[in-house]
Amino acid sequence: MRLGALLGTLLAFSSACLPSTFARSVTGDRVLVLVPAVEAALHEYSVFLDSLERRGFDVSVRAAANSSVVLHTDGDRLYDHVALLAPAAKRLGAALSVQDFIDFVDTGGNMLVAASAALSDFQRRLAVQFGVEFDKRGTAVIDHSHYLRTKAPSNHTIVAASRLSNIPAVLSPPLLADEHRAIYFEGIAHSYDSQIPLLAPLLTGSRSTYSGSPATAERPSSKSTQEQLSGRSLGLVSVFQSRSNARVVFAGSTALFSDALISAEHSANGPFVTDISQWAFQEKAVLREIAHRHHLASAASSSSSSEQPDHYRVANVISYEIDLSVYHDDKWHPYIADDVQFEATMLDPYLRLTLNHTQSADSDAVATYHGDIKLPDRYGTFTFSVNYKRTGLSSIDVQDTVAIWPLRHDEYPRFLSAAYPYYAGSFVMVAGFLALCAAWLWNTEPAPKSSKPKSS
Amino acid sequence: MPASAHVLAKLARDYAATTPQRLKVIDTYMAFCVAVGLIQFLYCALVGTFPYNAFLAGFGSAVACFVFAANLRIKTNPSNSHQFGTSSEGAFAEFVLCHIVLHFVVSNFLG
Repeated sequence: MRLGALLGTLLAFSSACLPSTFARSVTGDRVLVLVPAVEAALHEYSVFLDSLERRGFDVSVRAAANSSVVLHTDGDRLYDHVALLAPAAKRLGAALSVQDFIDFVDTGGNMLVAASAALSDFQRRLAVQFGVEFDKRGTAVIDHSHYLRTKAPSNHTIVAASRLSNIPAVLSPPLLADEHRAIYFEGIAHSYDSQIPLLAPLLTGSRSTYSGSPATAERPSSKSTQEQLSGRSLGLVSVFQSRSNARVVFAGSTALFSDALISAEHSANGPFVTDISQWAFQEKAVLREIAHRHHLASAASSSSSSEQPDHYRVANVISYEIDLSVYHDDKWHPYIADDVQFEATMLDPYLRLTLNHTQSADSDAVATYHGDIKLPDRYGTFTFSVNYKRTGLSSIDVQDTVAIWPLRHDEYPRFLSAAYPYYAGSFVMVAGFLALCAAWLWNTEPAPKSSKPKSS
Repeated sequence: MPASAHVLAKLARDYAATTPQRLKVIDTYMAFCVAVGLIQFLYCALVGTFPYNAFLAGFGSAVACFVFAANLRIKTNPSNSHQFGTSSEGAFAEFVLCHIVLHFVVSNFLG
């Protein structure tokens, strides 16, 4: 609790002190953009890079072949975010290995990986580490029904993609609501492993989209359709969030970020690129647990808030509270949801209850979730946890280890109401015995006398 | 039917006429024991065996009282006097002693 209060004040302090020109990102403002050639890239991606600068990032654009580029020095990250816009590069920076990038993500760095039809083996191996498998060399995404009509009339490789996954944490409402959106995409398809809960497809192909070789065939041959990616299983853009809440976006197209397609007619590339870069660089949908506390429901919350009990008795009723905030639009907001659940587990889950959102008057940045919980009638070491993992949002896993004690010998009820008839029965038998004794001892004998003449 | 009714009527009449009053008192007491035991058993069947020790104590108390009363009745029945002798006071003393021990145990076991 004290730690939570400290964290809260620290948050308030940091948000108050940092000037607004700082990055809106929660984790940091240093962006490394790796491109094939710096000068050409500054022209090609000027809109995207300008929007990063405007959002307060400290953008360093470097050539992929620049051998002075490293991600870590002495184990510390040099950058908070990396955008890889150099798909063809066989080696990146100072011979950075796939493990270097994985370490970068493990230590909380975020990545934006853009591919193209000419994707190097190195970046394929990098993507496979995150469950994203790009299609074979030489293939491209083709759609003969939805394509950019003003350009490249023959092979239809600039696809107008519109099938977005409904992930409001990543995509802004106007983009999701737009029926006629067209996100122009020129590049390579990938298959995403749907078994990985950390990975979610964001933009997939429509029914007429397939992955094939644009040079050889206009249409997919019947032989190769088995292996071909098409439709919904064809991933164009996928999002990955690691257990450390680092975020990685895989886009099969560098052209997606280019000025040419952002400024194309009816293009939704601009808002889409903004959404995915904001999400990837921790500018939105960052969920944070400010504090959590539990105490006996009978105890007044104000008096017992200073110390948190480390044990309860079986079947106690406790009050559990957790404060959640979500970051977007440069501010922490209260996080409102109806699916925040509390769990009490001892190997098996004993309780799983939905917590209710209660209005907390003192803060406009925190939503408090509250539950009055009757603990199981079972003693042992329990874990109280709120394990909240939703696609696109930072995951929250709060755990407390709490002992539940059995009743002391003098805490059991002395008399059980269920046993009252038995108490009564035994005392009635004592009374009956005394009555029999009295009848036996003071037995007068007129009865035998009167009965004797009858029997005789 | 009339024959069995006749038998029953004769049995009742003979019982009232020939049984000593002390044995009638014991018989009443035994009927009382059966009633108390039956009530507790029905309650247990209805509600469940949760305070099982209390049930055992209450029910056992009734059963044991019934058994002690039956023994007292056998020993003090004049028609059994050739087997046990004529001292009904001794039998009654044993009966009282057994009851004291019984109720001590029951009250401990009641919980």
